[in-house]
Amino acid sequence: MFSQLKSRFGSSLAVGIIGMIAIWLIGLVILPQILMVDYSFRPNLLPADIGGPNDTYSLMNYETLFSNKIHLAIFFKTIWSSVLVTSLTLVVSYPIAFYLAKVATPQKAALCLLLLIIPFWINEILRTFSWYIILAYKGPLNALLLGLGIIDRPIRFLSGDGGVLIGMVYAYILFMIFPIYNAIESLDTNQIKAARNLGAGWIRTHWRVVIPHAKPGIATGCIMTFMLAAGSYAVPALLGSPGSRWFTQIIYNWFFEGGDWNQGAAYAFLLLIICIGFIALVMRVFKVGLGDIAK
Amino acid sequence: MDSSVHLDNTVMQFGDFTAIQQTDLTIKSGEFFSFLGPSGCGKTTILNMISGFIDPTQGDIKIGGKSMRGVPANKRPTSMIFQNLALFPLMTVAENIEFGLEVRGVSKSERKKASDRLLELVALEGSGTKRVSELSGGQKQRIAIARALAVEPQVLLLDEPLSALDLKLRQHMRTELKAIQRKTGITFIYITHDQGEALTMSDRVAVMSAGRIQQVADPITLYRDPHTAFVASFVGENNGVSGKVIEANSDFVVLDCGPLGKLAGRSQGNIAVGADATLFIRPEHFRLQAEEGMHTLRATIDEVNFEGAYLTLNANTPANLPLSIQLGTHQFSDSLKKGAPVSLSYNEQDAIVIAGGGHV
Repeated sequence: MFSQLKSRFGSSLAVGIIGMIAIWLIGLVILPQILMVDYSFRPNLLPADIGGPNDTYSLMNYETLFSNKIHLAIFFKTIWSSVLVTSLTLVVSYPIAFYLAKVATPQKAALCLLLLIIPFWINEILRTFSWYIILAYKGPLNALLLGLGIIDRPIRFLSGDGGVLIGMVYAYILFMIFPIYNAIESLDTNQIKAARNLGAGWIRTHWRVVIPHAKPGIATGCIMTFMLAAGSYAVPALLGSPGSRWFTQIIYNWFFEGGDWNQGAAYAFLLLIICIGFIALVMRVFKVGLGDIAK
Repeated sequence: MDSSVHLDNTVMQFGDFTAIQQTDLTIKSGEFFSFLGPSGCGKTTILNMISGFIDPTQGDIKIGGKSMRGVPANKRPTSMIFQNLALFPLMTVAENIEFGLEVRGVSKSERKKASDRLLELVALEGSGTKRVSELSGGQKQRIAIARALAVEPQVLLLDEPLSALDLKLRQHMRTELKAIQRKTGITFIYITHDQGEALTMSDRVAVMSAGRIQQVADPITLYRDPHTAFVASFVGENNGVSGKVIEANSDFVVLDCGPLGKLAGRSQGNIAVGADATLFIRPEHFRLQAEEGMHTLRATIDEVNFEGAYLTLNANTPANLPLSIQLGTHQFSDSLKKGAPVSLSYNEQDAIVIAGGGHV
């Protein structure tokens, strides 16, 4: 890599580029992570006691989660809800992705993509707040449903899991649509025609031909959505409080309200480890390799 | 079983563009029928209408006498072999063949029996467990045929399936397709721009141009008696000489071809004296020695090509009209060389005159 850069930019600039990348990687990514790992194994002490006889490495911070039943429940609920968010996002995104890739004319597809992307030019907090307004007890969605006579009294969408699910599906839908869209677009349309021609209905055509082909894209989308959902803070804080708490909120509390960075770091790593483990398991079950995802 | 296909005054429009002009055509049960035409002539549109991927704007498609209007692609008694074959790459060979049966809820053991039988038909016994990617081009071709036959269609639609194969294999597959058609008795509808394929395999051929069927006939009639100038020049090679009609009866027409003199040929349809018309002579109908009753054109040789069994000459006439001539190799002599004058004779029985001038 260095010789390539050198031949293109000259040696001083090449050293500069590599140096900046190294500083960024080491100083901003690797070192802080190591620091947090270090924190997570040490007790939370007064500044005076740091480095003293009580400052020893232990698994104590990690054990806290398993002794605190409420935190443990929220932890598993976060994982479970993230699975739910991921599945719901998949169910919503797959038809859109298929439509964009195989049904829509190029002009319509471009228009749809634009309409999907425009909301994402707005800050996530603002977007979430707009959902807060839409889903409010006396908000427009309830008014619409009441007006259409679908419900007789307003539904309390907020302060529960419903609002969080809706908000997250909306927040992460692009991360699901794009990889699936890319995967389906690369499918030869004749494959779909061939399946139809051999007598397959739409469901079987998707199940046997389109989905197997799009599997790497689906896996990529699910992993991104799952990781984002499990690590989300703004959506549950705004749309879920106080009924639906997310594990990230507990981590936040340890850091900034409890002032216990050591405990917060341990919780954060536990979430990371479980998420990675969970993804590895799902990839195993659906027989998707890392190579497929990188495609 | 009646597996005829009837295009009942079918019209297909895409927006303002008419892909298929009003067409009324019956393809007989058990026939090997080809649509032949240049790309963009609408032949694939016809296939898509028969298979149900698109619905005609007007008219109807009938298969075995039954109207197909509103019948979706997956419920039609047709089966298609795609130009790129469209085998399912993530399935094994056997799974590919059995797919149509799986869809129909046929039991696993029955499916296995069917795929074994079909693999035998296409001479690929024991390849069932292979992946599609492990097969050669010709083998993939046969699997595509087996997959299409597995659903026991009344009509098999073939969309230029041989175009991706090399010459030898293509010729071999022609014979094989014909044999399979005879064995199964299924109606084959074959789409191609390759006249060799259409002429060698088909019982009848429809020549298409710009969304219109120009002529439907058996290959020999098509070659001998083209009805339109398009058919005359698209099917096989032809030399067209345009001129004005100076004499005409029901069988023969004499044209005044300007600097080429008066030339005569069989008349195609009613041609009136004074009209513009084109005389078509096939390259193989020229002779170097004139015989009694023959017509002669004078030309200069541009190029001589030796092709093995025959020679082709490119020659230019005083009217600056290029001609191509095909001669048996035994007629070769040293006098046939670039720049040499040559007199080309033909029998008026072998030339055909079609109304309309300025062609070629």
